[in-house]
Amino acid sequence: MRRILIIDDEDDIREVAALSLESIAGWQVYTACSGAEGMRIAATELPDAILMDVMMPAMDGPTTFKEMQKIPDLAGIPVVLLTAKVQGVDQRRFAGLGVAAVLFKPFDPLTLAEQMSDALGWN
Amino acid sequence: MPSPFQPVSKDPEAAHKLLASLWERSLPTLHERLTLLDNSVVAAQAGALTPQLRQEAMETAHKLAGSLGMFGYPEGTDFARRIEHQLENDTPVDALQLAQNVAALRASLSL
Repeated sequence: MRRILIIDDEDDIREVAALSLESIAGWQVYTACSGAEGMRIAATELPDAILMDVMMPAMDGPTTFKEMQKIPDLAGIPVVLLTAKVQGVDQRRFAGLGVAAVLFKPFDPLTLAEQMSDALGWN
Repeated sequence: MPSPFQPVSKDPEAAHKLLASLWERSLPTLHERLTLLDNSVVAAQAGALTPQLRQEAMETAHKLAGSLGMFGYPEGTDFARRIEHQLENDTPVDALQLAQNVAALRASLSL
């Protein structure tokens, strides 16, 4: 069973993504509402992948990703960024960070797990 | 070698029901967000849209753009995205267009 950590400050996004990955894909899901909490959970649970929002207060997704790269145990965990920014310049900036993939909001809850699997080469 | 993706639930109806319950739960937050956009329209029409309110309205529109579509309201996402784009640069806000977009957003949600 895949183990996924979702990091998003918005309750509805976090809940729908968790619902989608748990009930559609049967994956085990951990959730965090901030980058700092996400790093703590990632360090203890070492999930197979992390789905993380870009825009979060205090520590945004790209900053959290960069902090994770400094920690050997976390640096190898693939991170998928989730963003509502649709402009090309933003997409290129996020892709250039070195994350595994960038997915876009709003996502389809019925296909989110499949999109993640495709993006991570799990298919 | 990881196994290919295999959905464990083949009952989209059950997932839709769960989504509907999450939508119901998110309605109070949605109403707060729409009220903030209404306030930004009133301020823009009065020529009193402060940078802070503009920023809050833009962030609110961004959140709505990212969430409404996943609940089955793609038009809501489109209108929220228009509002976000309208507010995200430093040019003066077209109050009439902002009001039209916020009204259209509300209409798309049947609220």
